[in-house]
Amino acid sequence: MIGLQTPVERFDIVIAGVGGQGTILASRIIGRAAVIAGLKVRGSELLGMSQRGGAVYSHVRFGTRVEAPIIPEGAAHMLLTFEPAEGLRYLHYLSRNSLILVNTKPIIPQTVSSGLSRYPDLQHILQHYRSFTATIALDATQLAIQAGNPITTNSVMLGAMVGTGRFPLSTEVMLQAIEETVRKSLHEVNRKAFFLGFEKAKQLMNEAQAAAGV
Amino acid sequence: MSLRYLAGKKEGEKVLLMGNEAIAWGAIEAGVAVAAAYPGTPSSEILDSLAEVAKDYGIYAEWSVNEKVALEVALAASYCKLRSMTSMKHVGLNVAHDTFMTAAHIGARGGFVVVSCDDPNAWSSQNEQDNRYIAMQAYVPVFEPYTPDEAKKMMVYAFQYSEDYGQPVMLRSTTRVSHAVSEVEIGSVLRLEREPVWEKRPDLLVYDSAGARRNRVEMVKRFERIAKEIDKVPFNRLDLADGAKKGIVASGLAYGYVKEALNLLNLDGEVSLLKLGTTYPIPKGLVKRLLENVEEVLIVEELEPITETLIKAYSVDLGFRTRFHGKDWIPLIGELTTKPVTQAIAKFIGVESPIDYDELSKLSETAAHLPPTRPPVLCPGCPHRASFFSLKKVSTRVANNPKLFGLEQVFGVSTTPIYPGDIGCYGLAYLPPFRTSDLSICMGGGIGFANGLAHLVKSPIFVSIGDSTFFHAGIPALVNAVHHKARMVVIILDNDVTAMTGEQPTPGSAVDAMGQPAPRVMLEDLARGCGVSYVQVVDPSDFKRSQEVLEEAVKVDGPAVVIFRRPCELVRTREQRRQGVLPKPYTVDQSKCTKCMVCINSFGCPAIYKQDKVIQIDPTLCTGCGDCAQICPLKAIVRV
Repeated sequence: MIGLQTPVERFDIVIAGVGGQGTILASRIIGRAAVIAGLKVRGSELLGMSQRGGAVYSHVRFGTRVEAPIIPEGAAHMLLTFEPAEGLRYLHYLSRNSLILVNTKPIIPQTVSSGLSRYPDLQHILQHYRSFTATIALDATQLAIQAGNPITTNSVMLGAMVGTGRFPLSTEVMLQAIEETVRKSLHEVNRKAFFLGFEKAKQLMNEAQAAAGV
Repeated sequence: MSLRYLAGKKEGEKVLLMGNEAIAWGAIEAGVAVAAAYPGTPSSEILDSLAEVAKDYGIYAEWSVNEKVALEVALAASYCKLRSMTSMKHVGLNVAHDTFMTAAHIGARGGFVVVSCDDPNAWSSQNEQDNRYIAMQAYVPVFEPYTPDEAKKMMVYAFQYSEDYGQPVMLRSTTRVSHAVSEVEIGSVLRLEREPVWEKRPDLLVYDSAGARRNRVEMVKRFERIAKEIDKVPFNRLDLADGAKKGIVASGLAYGYVKEALNLLNLDGEVSLLKLGTTYPIPKGLVKRLLENVEEVLIVEELEPITETLIKAYSVDLGFRTRFHGKDWIPLIGELTTKPVTQAIAKFIGVESPIDYDELSKLSETAAHLPPTRPPVLCPGCPHRASFFSLKKVSTRVANNPKLFGLEQVFGVSTTPIYPGDIGCYGLAYLPPFRTSDLSICMGGGIGFANGLAHLVKSPIFVSIGDSTFFHAGIPALVNAVHHKARMVVIILDNDVTAMTGEQPTPGSAVDAMGQPAPRVMLEDLARGCGVSYVQVVDPSDFKRSQEVLEEAVKVDGPAVVIFRRPCELVRTREQRRQGVLPKPYTVDQSKCTKCMVCINSFGCPAIYKQDKVIQIDPTLCTGCGDCAQICPLKAIVRV
């Protein structure tokens, strides 16, 4: 597998989830933050047919060397999956050096209720991620509810992304991008959600490092 | 996102925009006066975002009834010396093709840009097609951006270019430009404030055959000038690498993938690279310089080998012996990504890819099959679900025992219903639990197909078509059905908007694209006007009446029209939220629920699910429409 370039040149994030979860909003916020930071931004979203409750993903990339709207296969730095199983579809964008951030709250599709399809066991899902690369799992939906509104799940995930210490843009820039994107009445709750995610991820990263004996 | 917030931005400032927003903003900077379009993924957000701010810039914007009319609206404006544009998805240009060809003969008097948004990989389309072929057929030059930022710059340039050369211009976008994001540099807005000029010019506009021949001569002359001078367009660039014997040509979006691949392969500056921003006609001066300097060329482009064919032919004209690779190594089908481009370039140069793609697929493939299938579904509270529930009931009853309905002479002892469908959200009815959309071939194609079937089969035919699609292309097919006594039930699913593409207004809506009050064209008046003898309007939430009406309609000898009318749930709930009214969700009374599964297996609302052997309703998804409470045989679904 390829060794990664330095983040200033290229930083690539895949965001996975289910239509309606706010994955597009999250990728726009990251994109905006990168523009504020004076970087070149590329990204791609799937809209239209796929929005209606289907599996969705978006790509967001920034740095001096990004050119294409889609992340090169095998080269993404991070995968944020807003729904535990959904990220499994996109591991081919990752490398052994990537970091995966999983929201552990499942969304059960119709196909499972009607018996046409099976929902895998959560531990089994996490095992797959972990056998691929470093993985941080948190119940972002629960933290969003704790912050005051489940719709802030994407701010929890963005906060967690920054909290891992592996994201090259600053907290200030990310918060500015969130505030430029969401309604003013929701600024406070999103800020709270962001920091709940931030602290949780920071703690999980520390635990992982301690466990690895670093 | 909204273009509204760009009003306060300074020239040179950078903002994050989606490709379609950037295209719209480019048109505004260029001083566009008229914009008309019909929605279709991946093009819809162009007029969506333009119409929202149109009044601020003195622009007239409309959602036309279909792409052909949209192109005619724009053509009229261009003829009257105003800058105008139309935007559509690739198959939209098929609908507008007739006008497009003749518009190219007439030429552009005000800058005239046709934005074609192709959909490689058919993410949201019934086919995959490369509209550069249509442009070539019409002698229309093609601009192909590779980022939203370049798309904006090209729009600004294309209006002036079209005016300078007197020819319409195509900006060819694709899904990964239209629905991509990039930083976009804001420029100043040109305020032309031109008055429209109408001139009586039968020599240009009236088609006797002499006029057609004359216009063709003029069109070819205009194009010859374009072809000769296209090298001057700033979006083409040749980077010759010192001593390199190999060169790559990348058109439009492919340039991004080629740059990424060269970077991954550590080949930056090792090969010559020709970036094509205009793919038709090709900039012959730059192409010639590349061919003079290299022995072997790899041509990278998405979908059809357009520039490949043109460059190969030109190389033969020049008497060169250049060796070419193109579609032998670059996929013809689907969209490009960095992977196939990296593999092709690695092979072309003779280096190893640093990413072991085989290992990568091996590692990721097992995982990719684990998540449950998650096909797109009708939204919670979607009125189409109620309509299809009733349709499925009635159509099955009729087909199983036509005699019960006095229809054994028509359909025999028992038969199978046929459900021609059309393009829109309701096309999702092809999936379980309904399976009541057997085809969706093209806009209006369902009634057309049924016109054929009606004379061939002894099955009841139930066509479903959305309100917007019916306005767009359903009417002529319905007229045909009346005149030829084609027996079918045409179900018009009237949710007041073009829902799938983002809830744009239709001619049946009470507002227009710019948010102004507009006269509503009523579907029932249209159907009656077409000569249909049986026309009924029903609210699909009234299940009893809906099924009665369908049972009556199926007895009509000839076409019958049933209009299911209820607003799109996305629009209704958004309106309510705006007024501070939150949805009142339903829940399952577990003491009454016998887990008969009707709500899941026959109705299929995504808010209803089964977990731990209990049927539950997700309160965050439930919109409180109440349809499930009606269809539950045990009345076990109740308000929270």
